Amino acid sequence: MRTHKKYTPQYWAALVLVLIAALVSVVPFVYMVLVSFTQMEILSFNFDFSEFSLVNYSTVFRNLDFMTNLKNSVIVTVITCILNCIIPSMAAYAFAKKQFPGKSKFFMVYLATLMIPSQVTLIPMFFIVRALGLMNTYTAMILPLINAFGVFLIKQFLDSFPDELLEAGRIDGCGENRMFVTIVVPLMKSVLVSLVIFTFITSWNNFLWPLVIASKPNVQTLTVALATLKSNYSTNYGLVMAGSTLAFLPPFIIYIFLQRQFVEGIALSGIKG
Amino acid sequence: MPKPKYKDAGFAFAYILPSFLLILVFSIIPIIMDVGLSFTSYNMITSPEWTGLDNYKRLFTDPYIGASIKNTVIFTFVTVPVQTLLALVFAAVIADKFRSHFGEAVKSAMFIPVIASMVLIGNLWTIILEPHGIVNNFLGLFGISPVNWLGSKHLSLFSVCIISIWKNVGYFLVIFYAGIMDIPAELYDAADVDGAGTMQKFLHITVPALSSVTYLVVTLGTIWSFQVFDLVYTLTGGGPGLSTQTLVLTIYNTAFRSYEMGYASTIALLMFVFVLVISILQKKFLAKED
Repeated sequence: MRTHKKYTPQYWAALVLVLIAALVSVVPFVYMVLVSFTQMEILSFNFDFSEFSLVNYSTVFRNLDFMTNLKNSVIVTVITCILNCIIPSMAAYAFAKKQFPGKSKFFMVYLATLMIPSQVTLIPMFFIVRALGLMNTYTAMILPLINAFGVFLIKQFLDSFPDELLEAGRIDGCGENRMFVTIVVPLMKSVLVSLVIFTFITSWNNFLWPLVIASKPNVQTLTVALATLKSNYSTNYGLVMAGSTLAFLPPFIIYIFLQRQFVEGIALSGIKG
Repeated sequence: MPKPKYKDAGFAFAYILPSFLLILVFSIIPIIMDVGLSFTSYNMITSPEWTGLDNYKRLFTDPYIGASIKNTVIFTFVTVPVQTLLALVFAAVIADKFRSHFGEAVKSAMFIPVIASMVLIGNLWTIILEPHGIVNNFLGLFGISPVNWLGSKHLSLFSVCIISIWKNVGYFLVIFYAGIMDIPAELYDAADVDGAGTMQKFLHITVPALSSVTYLVVTLGTIWSFQVFDLVYTLTGGGPGLSTQTLVLTIYNTAFRSYEMGYASTIALLMFVFVLVISILQKKFLAKED
């Protein structure tokens, strides 16, 4: 039992401290949105709200390829999320619940690949993608994100999961594939939600890989386009901030609705290290 | 009747195959190719030429590598302690004083920078740190003259560190907070009975109980230091001079601006060795903990 009085000087000091931290985290984003409505050439605190306009937004939509970039980001991210559920689930199930020769050595290889940062394999991956004729394709942006991390995560989850339920399914004369889809997959729901959120952020914010293999404007994702926007219009602050605000909206909206799962999902990536 | 041990082997292999093919093509084969390429000179126009250890020798005299390593070391020694400490303190304060909707709101607010891309953060902070931007305006209120945050050789790396800390604290906060929630409440209750103060409880209960979490946070922060790219690409391009040059930026420029694919692969392997050593040290430490 806490018997302390709640409103001690310590409490007020802590309150000020966390309020400052929260403000410092949020204010830059508020500033981003405010600047996006202006055509300021000199930046300052003093916003003239009467001069706010949507000019920058209409420029982003009309003159830049924003809709194309948005479409590319959405397609790449959605397909990556779906595949990163299906393919690792299957492998994780086999690793967790089936016996086969060389299983533990095989899984060691999976774990070892987790220690390879994607930047290390960038150059050979570029050659492989080029040799496969996949330059400037969605496929090339999607496939490398389906890695051992999902397998590792789901296997951890399945390991703690009793075999008896599966045996019950077997008695009912369930086929292996049907049992996986009807019994195992529904039980993995919570871990899959975390994995999807983690994958969503990774894919949406991915930069170096799409920069290297998808430079053509018609396949460029939003994050790559943002960097281009900044280098092409460096002094048009309002325009750059309008593009940035729009690119931030999808992850931000999902974050607002799925906060708890979001935090869990992203914190999971800590295991990856 | 005993089941044959490997009855399901065919099924298992079929289920693993798609995932394994992807890992083979995008992890295992590339790391082997990296090693092969590192002994060659290859400009993508003429075929690769075997150059033995030349690329490795060049690592030692390349000013970009020297600058990248120096910057990474400084970056690590600034960001890792600061972000770890801030995250730990805020997690402890929120867990101790604000287990309420208010505390949740603070955590949510501090997590917002985590979900934004580094590219977006780079764009945003370029504008915030402009010579006439809001940070300098704010400092002007106290009579401080404008600071060239990103354009000065002496400050640019420091600015990149601050932004990186700003982005990552919320992430580590969540990890620490989860760790604190796992500490048995009885420990604190017993300390209360003994009349321990907040600070004593923090130092003698919270900090020791979080040692493996702290180790994870420090290791992750260190590995991330070796991977900095998006932020310096958008903020400074590695400059002014080589003041914010990083290993990944050097790999990118060497490969995709100078088309020295062989040498760039050697740098990538160097980076891999650094990250591997840190990961192995972490695994060793955690094994000892358990």
